[in-house]
This record gives sequence, structure tokens and C-alpha cells, in this order.
Amino acid sequence: MSAIIEIRNITKEFKVLNRREGLKGSLKDLFSRDYKIVRAVDNISMTIEQGEIVGYLGPNGAGKSTTIKMMTGVLEPTSGEILVGGNVPYQNRTKNAQEIGVVFGQRSQLWWALPLIESFKLLKDIYQIPDKEYDGMLALYQSLVDIEPLLHKPVRQMSLGQRTLSDILAAFLHNPKIVFLDEPTIGLDVSMKAKIRTLIQALNREKHTTVILTTHDMGDVDALCRRIVIIDKGKMLYDNDMEHLKGFFGSYRTLKIRVDGDLKAHAEEIAKELPECSVSADEEWISILVDEDKATVMEVLGTLQTAHSIRDMQLQEISTEEVIKKIYEEGVQ
Amino acid sequence: MKLKKYITLTRAGIIEALQFRLSFVVMVIGNLLYLIVVYFLWKAIYASAGTDVVNGMTFNDTLIYLVLATALFNFMEMYTVWEIGRNIQSGKIVLDLLKPMEYRKYLFWSYSGTFVTQFFLTFLPTFIVVSVVTHGAVPLGINLLYFVISVVMAVSINYSIDFLVGTICLYTESIWGINIMKQVIVLLLSGATIPLAFFPEPLRSAMYYLPFQSIYNAPLSLLLDGDPQPQTVLTTLGMQAMWCIFMLLLSKGFWKVSLRQITVNGG
Repeated sequence: MSAIIEIRNITKEFKVLNRREGLKGSLKDLFSRDYKIVRAVDNISMTIEQGEIVGYLGPNGAGKSTTIKMMTGVLEPTSGEILVGGNVPYQNRTKNAQEIGVVFGQRSQLWWALPLIESFKLLKDIYQIPDKEYDGMLALYQSLVDIEPLLHKPVRQMSLGQRTLSDILAAFLHNPKIVFLDEPTIGLDVSMKAKIRTLIQALNREKHTTVILTTHDMGDVDALCRRIVIIDKGKMLYDNDMEHLKGFFGSYRTLKIRVDGDLKAHAEEIAKELPECSVSADEEWISILVDEDKATVMEVLGTLQTAHSIRDMQLQEISTEEVIKKIYEEGVQ
Repeated sequence: MKLKKYITLTRAGIIEALQFRLSFVVMVIGNLLYLIVVYFLWKAIYASAGTDVVNGMTFNDTLIYLVLATALFNFMEMYTVWEIGRNIQSGKIVLDLLKPMEYRKYLFWSYSGTFVTQFFLTFLPTFIVVSVVTHGAVPLGINLLYFVISVVMAVSINYSIDFLVGTICLYTESIWGINIMKQVIVLLLSGATIPLAFFPEPLRSAMYYLPFQSIYNAPLSLLLDGDPQPQTVLTTLGMQAMWCIFMLLLSKGFWKVSLRQITVNGG
């Protein structure tokens, strides 16, 4: 395996005008030279190998998109070195563009008014994809998802899920070495999310494409990434494999159940039945923190079901935010 | 092979434009209303002047000129400033910048399909109607060839100016004011709203040294000149060619410098 992306100590700073309040302040701002420097990305280094799927995580405003824009060549780093497939992206933007594909979850690169197949044909000519490769790619797509009904539908008439799916297919069409997926599953329902995860996985396997995925959905990360990188406030917090992180914060999940009768009394009983879990109760729910290394949620549920009649249940994953908070507070290692 | 990646954008533009049938109808009606206003306005101007010929142009000359200028405007106006501004505000510009093609070219060729549709759906019909109604007041000869060459260069100059102004949006992050200002300046100084002959003398001479008159005045005067002198043709086309190259280099250079400024929204 060889490194496809090499980043060494990149930093990106933005100059932002200090805005004042009110009408008077706004008028003053017209003539203000009072800038402050915002450091969006602060001294980040990483190396990504060909064929990896890397989860790039962090809360909103952490600097994820800025890093991706530097890797794609839209932004120039303030300092540091960056090499994508041997190119310096902002110097050879056009050449770099040939090697990468991009999906931004909230906007589409497809031609709004045209049927999907026309967008594909356009991309074929723009990226100068040879006929044989193009046909091969379409055949591959056909084998992975049922694209036939989508091909002749104008993009503006598609549902969000169909559009995202189409955008992902469009990004892979010219068989790029790297695909950047920026929150691809945002706003999608569960079955569409699953479909898109399977698709990304299959494309990565078939074409050995490097995938850089930013997301707030731990489900995406669990399903796809072996390695994750976490940044916050522009600084790198974590860069290691998924297993390591799980081992670090434990694979905790919170099971919430609602039962008939007095919750407090039930909670006490449950605490006795499940000594390895911590149990608490509020007005509505009994929360049981399950450490999946010791007992799976299904086992716990099975135990509970024999003694209590469960009316309703919820399962809560530990969110990215919580993981980051935990790392932030406790540090890694 | 290289050309194919541009032509494919033209093709898409044509298909895209044809998806919106109603907009053509609305545009034709809008133009008719504008021309009616122009007709009565200039009728009043000629009536109050008291003579048949004002500044060397008869009422018919003026009207033919303005009708053709309107048709040419529909053909040439690319709304580039709008497009760039909107793309900057929505952040879509990031996706366009990531195409393996220069943004300047990408935008031009994306729009070029509309040239084709506009030419056949508005300019050509207008031209034919004017020719028929005026019983041959528009000469049909070698001037047509000069006109075509001139329009091609006019399109290029117009696009360069648009692109230059659009680039300013990178700094201001607002579109409206800039776009209106550009539109007023270009339309007034190019002779699209008032024939250049009507401008007072010092201003008119000054306008010949600006790029704007190469956009509307130059092609229209070549078209309406039934007996073109080689010298006039050469000067007009030469001047256009010069502006064409100059504006191209200027807008390209300015874009290159400005691109470093990009701080795309949501970044």
C-alpha cells in the first residue's frame, strides 16, 4: 500500500472582521480595519493510504470542511505541506480534480433540470472517460443498486435519498483515486442510509477507492470506517483505528425501557437482576447503561423480558459529541 | 477530443433551456412590451424635434437599430454576474471549481447552449420580421458576414466584462448592486438603449475609446451599413479584436489573483 494523501503540519487561518452590534456598530464596521485571525485548522498531519476508508469526525465548526477544501485544492493552506496523489492540490487544481470525486450532502453537482443519464454523459465528456470504462462503471452500478428507474428521472424530481445516491454514483463515475464524502447521509431515512453505506462499501472494495467520510452519524462510522480521525477546534484529537477507540471508551449503549407500574420499584429490582449494569429511573424511563463487552443489549433485554412486561423501549448510542467530549476531558492513551 | 468536453456542455444547455417552454413565451411578451414603449418614446422624441432627421438618423433608422439591439441583448446577456454571485453565496462554486476545467471556461460553455436557443428563438425571428416589415431597410450582403464576425467578438468582450464584474463578488459577497451598476453602464455606453449618434460630442468621442461600444454599437453599425468601406470595417473589427484580447487577459488575470481570496461559505 502506498500513501495517497500526505499532510504535514497544515494550518489555515481566516481573517474575520470584528463586527459590532446595532445600526451604529454596523455603520462603523464599514470603515473598520479591526480584523481578528481565526485559526480554523491548527497544525494537522496525517497520512492516508490508497484504499482506506477514513472517518473524519468532529463537532460543527471543528475545521473538517476546511481540511477537505484544502485537500481538494479549493483553499490554500496558510502553512504546511499537502500532497494528494503526488500533486499539490491548490497549484494543480485541474489536474487534481481529475483524480478526486466529491459529494457534499447538502448540495448537488448534478444538472438540476436534466435526467440523471444526461448528467452522467456530461461527466463522461468533462472527465474524458473512455467509453469502455464508462460502460463498465454503469454495469457495476447496475449490479449494486437498481439505477434503471433513476436514470431517466430529472434530478429536480428526485427525493433527497435518490439524489444523494445519484450524487455518490456521479462522484465515482470517473474512477477517481479519492472520494470525499461530506455528510452524505444527512437527512436520510434509515433504509436509505443503509443502502448508501452498502454502496460506498462496495465501491471502495471494487475500485479500491480511498474514501474520506465526514459525518455526525456514528452509524456511518461503525458501518464503514476502520480508521477514524477526530478533530475539534482545528486541532487533531485522535487518529487511530475504530477498535482502539471502542476499547478506550468501552462499547456502552444506553437501553431505555418503560414498564407498567412504579418505575422506581422496577428499577431497584432490575438493578439486582443486572449487577453489571448501572440503572437509573426518571418519570418516564428506566435507563440501563449496558457495557457490551460484558453483556449484549439483546441478552439484557431477554433477562428483563422474563420478569417485566416492557411497554416501550429505546436504544441510545454514544454520540460523536460524547466521544469527543470524553476524549477531550480524559485524553487518549 | 478536447473540444468535445466543451460542446457537451453546450448540448446540455440546449436541452436544459428546452425544458422550460413557458419562459420563452414570457420572454417574447416582455420584449414586445419593451419595444412598444421604445416605439412611443421615440415617436414622441421625433415629434417634438420637429424635423424628420435627428442626429443623422430618421425615425425608421432609430427604431430598426433599437429593435435589433434588443434582440441582440437577449442573445448576448448571459447573467454571468448573477450566476457567479449566486454560486458564491450558495457555496456551489466549490463543486464547479472541482471540475477538471477552468472555471471561466466551464461557466461560458455551460451557458453557451442558451446562445443557440436564443439565436433561433429570438434573434433570427426578430431579424426576419424587421427585414420584411421595413421592405429591405436592412441590407443583405457582405455586411452579414462582418456582422457575424463582429458578434462573436462582442460576445467574448461582453463575457469578459461580466466575468470581471462577477469576480468582484468574491470580495463583496453581494451581487445586486454590482450587477445593476454593470448593467446600466454597459447598456448605456454600448449604445444598446440609445444609439451612439444621440450622445453629445465630447462624450461620444470618449465612448469610442471604451470597450463597451464594441459590444452593441460595432456589430449593429456593421449590420446596418449597406455600403461598407474596407477602412471602416477594418477599424471596427480591429478595435474589437484589440478589446477582445485585452479584456480576456484582464479578466483572466484578475480571476487568478482573486481566487486566493475565496473563503467559501460554510467553510
